[in-house]
This record gives sequence, C-alpha cells and structure tokens, in this order.
Amino acid sequence: MRPVVVIAASAVSALGLGWRGLGKAVREGGTSVTPCSALGGVLAAQVPALPPAQDVEPRQLKLMSRGARLSCVAARSLFREAPSLPQEEMGFFLGVGASGGAVEELEAMLDASFSQEQFELGRFGTAGLGACNPLFAFQLMNNYTLCHAAIREGLRGPNAALFSRGAGTVLALAEAHHAVASGECDVALGGGADSALHPVTWAELRREGAEGMVPGEGAALLALAAADHGQPLGFLQRCEVYPGRQGLARALESTRRSLQTLRPECVVLAATPQRREAARELAASVCPGTTFETAALFGEALAASASLAAVAALDLLRDGEVRRAAVLVMGPDGDVGLVGLVNEVAS
Amino acid sequence: MSRAVITGCGVVSAFGVGARVFWDALGEGRAAVGPIRHFDASGFPTRVAGEVPVLRTDGAWLREYLGGRLPEPVLEEWEASGALRDRKIGFGWVAALEAWRQAGCGEDASDTWLSMALGLEQAFLEDFGPLLRKEGARTSIDWAAEQGAPLPQVRFRSRIDLCAGGLVNMLGLTGPVVPHVSACAAGTLAVVHAASLIERGAATRVLCGASDSMVNPLGLGGMSRLGAPSPRAEPDACRPFDRRRDGLAMGEGAAMFVVESEERALARGARPLARILGWGSTQDAYKTTAPLPDGAMARRAMQQALRRAGLTARDIGYVNAHGTGTPLNDPAEARAIREVLGDVPVSSIKGAVGHLMAASGAIEAAACLLSFQRDCLPGTAHHRERDPECDIDVIGERPREARVDAVLSNSFGFGGQNATVILGRGA
Repeated sequence: MRPVVVIAASAVSALGLGWRGLGKAVREGGTSVTPCSALGGVLAAQVPALPPAQDVEPRQLKLMSRGARLSCVAARSLFREAPSLPQEEMGFFLGVGASGGAVEELEAMLDASFSQEQFELGRFGTAGLGACNPLFAFQLMNNYTLCHAAIREGLRGPNAALFSRGAGTVLALAEAHHAVASGECDVALGGGADSALHPVTWAELRREGAEGMVPGEGAALLALAAADHGQPLGFLQRCEVYPGRQGLARALESTRRSLQTLRPECVVLAATPQRREAARELAASVCPGTTFETAALFGEALAASASLAAVAALDLLRDGEVRRAAVLVMGPDGDVGLVGLVNEVAS
Repeated sequence: MSRAVITGCGVVSAFGVGARVFWDALGEGRAAVGPIRHFDASGFPTRVAGEVPVLRTDGAWLREYLGGRLPEPVLEEWEASGALRDRKIGFGWVAALEAWRQAGCGEDASDTWLSMALGLEQAFLEDFGPLLRKEGARTSIDWAAEQGAPLPQVRFRSRIDLCAGGLVNMLGLTGPVVPHVSACAAGTLAVVHAASLIERGAATRVLCGASDSMVNPLGLGGMSRLGAPSPRAEPDACRPFDRRRDGLAMGEGAAMFVVESEERALARGARPLARILGWGSTQDAYKTTAPLPDGAMARRAMQQALRRAGLTARDIGYVNAHGTGTPLNDPAEARAIREVLGDVPVSSIKGAVGHLMAASGAIEAAACLLSFQRDCLPGTAHHRERDPECDIDVIGERPREARVDAVLSNSFGFGGQNATVILGRGA
C-alpha cells in the first residue's frame, strides 16, 4: 500500500467558494448563519449567490439538485487550482445526500394531481406528470451529485456515490484513499456534497429532533494521490467509521483509542446537536483545549459536513498551525467518523 | 490476501420470494413482466413491470418471512410509521434474512459489515394533501403547517437508509454500513465493495446486495417522463438486444448475499456458492442523458475486472449483460463485449424480471449463480430477432446448458457509472 497525500482541495460553503481560510475561520469560531427564505426564515448556513463564472451554467440547472450544483462548483474550483491533474483516469468517491428536486416543480405536480385534498393517481399519471419539467427525475437521482461533476470535468476512473448523513462521507474518503493506496488509480477525488436546506430534508431532520440545529449546505473535495505525485498539502493518514447504531459508547471508545494513536494537536468537530456533548467530551479527552467546531460556520451540512471539516483541518496544517489534525464527525446517521491528517514534515 | 466468497444468497423478485424460486424460473425460461397490480397504473404512460407478486408489503407479509427476527412491537412500530409503504424496505429485509440463513450464520453477527445498494427515496405524494394551499392559480406547500398535520412519522418520502438501519437492528450487525447509491451500477458496486473489504482485510464478513422498487407512482412516472420504459404496455415490453427493442420494463425486488473470506467460510464448513474474482468501475463522463455510444468506458471496466481476476477473455464462459432493451444501451454494450470478450454467450434477464434499478446488479449476480448451481446459462426473455447492431452471441429465450467456471456481469447506471464483476465457481 502506498502512502496517500492530499495534493489539492476545494470547498464551497456558507463562507463562499474557496478552502483557504476555512481553518482560520473554524479556529476563530465564527458564524455564518442567515435567515433562509426556503425554510420560512429559519437561520441557516447557506452558500451565498456565486458569480456566474464560478457557478454552473444556467441551462444545466434544470437537471440538477442543489447538492449536484454545489458538487460541480467545488469540482470546477479544484481543477482551476490544479489544472494539470490527470482527469481521464481519476477516481471519484463522493458522499451524497437525499434526493432534492426543485420545490416549484413538486408544487406544480401536486397542483395537477390533487382534487379536494385527495391525491388522485389517474390525475397524477397524466396531468401531474405533464406539469413538471420532463428532466425532473435527474434532480431526484442522487448519484447525479457525483455524475454531473464527473461529466463536466471528464473524470472516468473508478467511482462510487455513497449515501451520507455524516459518516458515509468518511467512507467515501476511505474508498478514495484505498483506490490510490492500492494503485487502482493514481489520483482520486473524495469528499461530499449536500444541502439540508431542502424543505423535505429539513422537515425530516426536525422530526428526528433538530433542536439547536442550524441547517447547512456545501461541498468539499480532496484530491488524493500517491506520495510521489506532486507537492503534498498533507498526508491523509486515516479514514475510519465506528458504527454507533448498535451502541454509541462502544463506537466512542473505539474512536478514542484510534485518536490516541493519531495524537492530534487539534480536533475539528462536525457534530449534530444531539451528539455534540459526547463528541466534545471525546475530543477533549484526547486533545484538551484545541477542539474547533464547525456547526456555527457550516451548519449541519449532512453529506458535506465531514469533507468541509476535513478541508478546514487541511487548511490548519497548511498554515502551520498544527502538524497533526483529526476530524471527528458525528452526524444524524448515528455513526462516528474519524479522519486523520498530518503535515508532510511531521510524518 | 483473502479471497472473497459468496456463502449465502437471498432473492425477492417478480417470480416471488426465494433464491430457489428465482433460479427455478430462470432455469425454465419463464418471464414475469406483466400488468402492475399493487396500484392503479391505468392512467400512466407505462403500465407493466416486473412486479413482486405481493400487493402490500405490510406487517402481515413480513411476518411470514421474518419469523421472530423482528419482535412484534418493533414490526408494529415500523408499520405505524408509514415506512413500509416503501416496498424496497421489506424486500431487502426478506432477501437479507434468506441469505443469512442460507449461509448458516446463526446468531453471530459480530463485526459483520453491511454494504447495501439502495434506490431512491420513495415519494409519498399523498402526504402533501393537508399542506397544500391554493392562492389564485398557484398551489404551494405550507411547510409551517407540517408539524401539526395528521401525518405518519415517515412522511413525504422514505429515507434512503431505512432498510439498512432495520437490518442492522434485526441482525445485530456491528460493522459499518456502506450505503451505495450509484443508480443502476450500485448493486454491483455494493457486492464488489464487500469483496474489496474482505481482500484488504478490513472485514471478514459482509452482508451485501441491494433492494429497490421504483414501481410506484413517482418512480414509474418519472422514468416515463424520461422516455426510458417501452411505450408498449405488454409483457414483452423489454426485449434486450432484439432488433425491435424500444425501451426497458421497470422491475423491483432485492438480492442479498453473505460474502466472507474463503478461510473463514471453509473453517466453519460453509459451502461457497461462488468466488468473487475481479471487478472494475469507470465513468462514461459523456452526457447526462445517454451512454457513451462506443462503449469505451464499459470496455475499460470489463478489462479492469479481467486484470484484477488474473483471467483472459477465454476464461469467461458467460456474460450477464446490463442489457436494458433500450435503443442506446444495447448496441454500446454489445460493442464493448465483442471487443473485450469475442464470441462469449450473453444474456440479459431484464426481459424476465424487469430493470431493478439500484438492485439490478445484485439480482443479476444472483442470476449468475445459476450457471454454477445448475450448469445453466439464463436466457434472454423476448429476444427473438437478432440485431446486426448487437453483434454478439445472445442466448435466446430458452436457457442454455453449459458448464462454465467464470462469468462476468455488467451494470451501467444513469449518469454514466459502469461496474463489472467477475464471479468464479465456488468449489
């Protein structure tokens, strides 16, 4: 197995496009929440409007969910920063969220399908389907969060989209890491993209208990390569998931042991409110006084949370703030994700 | 390096419940695409599918197949939540338990991973009724009223990972859950991910496979709007590699497997049904709406799989094609197969059971096991007229008797994701 380094990164978040500076923002504990009109004024960490040159072409938007759009923006940004990467053979492993079609399309469909508050199959099969954009299905297929970006950038290597509400994105990073380490490809993108700002997603989160939660959105990608490939930004040392669905205590204990061997100088924490206290305690037990939380900055960005936290940690390495950083992810899925990044010199 | 083997298989298909039922039907050359019965599809552009023969995947149906694995109060909770309206949840559970039993895993689920391909959320459009507000000509959804409305707990849509979460609890799986969502390539990717975890030593046992159903109003309707299904509402709607092919037939179901290291399987006396020898995955990176016409990336996925397996084209005795029966997929795939493998026998089971979308790769891997179990290569239902554009050795409607030691299965997803797996005879 080959050592794996990070050679490029990108992010789009509530702070806009770009990953440099995210470490500082996380360390300083800033916030970026604003009222979200799509959610009736709920405070959210939403990606601001992007200049046309950074955004997806308008004619493409009718094919895309919000997550897919953010994924495309992040991918294009990464290749602008690192134009010489070999896209044709590049792997791509992405944590993606739920389906998220345009609400106005849904409303048009429902308007044509209901009669006196009753959903009528016959009306839906004819008028309901006819009322929406024929390409609406592409917005609903969540693998397109990966595919749109792959098509736009010509990424033809090994790939997989993994559903994520937190730790799934760490699994995507682990697959990108393995693809490079095993020699399956020389460079692979790993990361996540999602938006919790879709009303159906937000309703789902609220039902599960979203007290204190700030819905967020974003996308972040890491380009991973073998150690002899280009100038490293850092080494990706570890990507692990400890299942919490069969008992959080056991997952936390396994994570603690792994964290102790990693010896991080800081922990970047992306935890959903219900698990934040447990996450804080865990981080503090290993790395007292140097836990930086992403919740107020990026919100609960579901499939994007782990990768946004990872690029922030990478930025801390690049700034020389720390030599070893851990990312601890405890999203609504109930699992615990751990990413370990180390500075090239320290390794 | 540990070799990954399949020691258990469970299937829910349009032929009914059970791997044996599925293999019997394929072995007899039967087909099961027909009129949709579990909801009134008469007003839809597409009205046939490979539908699992059960009208309601409710507690009563599940009780029959899950036995005591799901305690009654828990089953009642699932039913009351509204989640079981999503048919793929029950299909996945039933198939997984069959695989688990067949593999002889017993009660020990320690350190078992779950690598599962799951289709899209099923939309429950009827739930929006109490929230619709009409203002002039415009209808909007009053999201603020959502919390006070008399709605089931699982409303608007089923979360993608519900089926997997249920399995984790039911079997007590303690390993991580890997939820694959790479559309029609996802089922194959879930299986090869399991094999990869075994080979790299990350896991010693993985429950893997897929479950999906898009035979529901929005699934069926959305695919119809894309023009993917055949416009003919006939049992032979899907005619893979046939000159007259005009689209796919939707299908639903699940196929699950227990994959473990060969050493572990042999040590506990389990009989491997197959070895997972190699795999590959690529991306067309071509168009949102169409596959790469020359099949170049499908070809590359097959070549990768051969390399990883350490095999040559001559070693492959059978190809289970993606074979959707659509005008664009079949010629591109045929070209790729011809270029990589030459005159190998090829068939597609999608004419028989429909296109299971995220679960298609998994059920087609289950179909491949028939070739090892019974020395029988599945046929291609409704393939009657050879198409010069699909210049490959297509097995016709009748299965073909043959003994083969390695088979290759292709799965290509909407969006250009390609996956290939090569299976070898188990013993």
